[in-house]
Amino acid sequence: MRKYELMVILDPDLDERTIAPSLDQFLTVVRSGGGTVDKVDLWGKRRLQYEIKKKADGFYAVIELAAEPAVVKELDRQLNLNEAVLRTKVIRPEKR
Amino acid sequence: MAKPPLRKPKKKVCMFCKEKVSYVDYKDTSLLRRFISDRGKIRARRVTGNCTQHQRDIATAVKNSREMALLPYTSTAR
Repeated sequence: MRKYELMVILDPDLDERTIAPSLDQFLTVVRSGGGTVDKVDLWGKRRLQYEIKKKADGFYAVIELAAEPAVVKELDRQLNLNEAVLRTKVIRPEKR
Repeated sequence: MAKPPLRKPKKKVCMFCKEKVSYVDYKDTSLLRRFISDRGKIRARRVTGNCTQHQRDIATAVKNSREMALLPYTSTAR
């Protein structure tokens, strides 16, 4: 198990109330894969410094989790398949 | 021809070493903004006075931050 930090930028046109449940749905992969979700931090809508998919803002979410590498890879793959996800980034904070 | 007075540049101490920072967070844009120019370029080490290792940490943090649209790649605002 390794600690990861996942940042997701979601479509700004989504309803704000649907963000948390839809993120939770993505994270079921982690839970069923034997990992744990430690922290979900919703930053809310933020202006992007440059346009992504012609959109000027995005919903930011930072998720801290611990899981096996393969599980995180699968999660990242599923996020990138989703149309509502503009961008993702997986980082291992303590690895230097 | 008068020689310009020799000015010894003051040696800057890396602010990350001074504060014993071990991890530069790419999410901390207000911190990282101090190390980019108003054009969005990463400031050189001779400008910022950081040590080799921390300058590199900042550079990767800025690049990560740019990928997530937290910092600009370029900004034309002049």
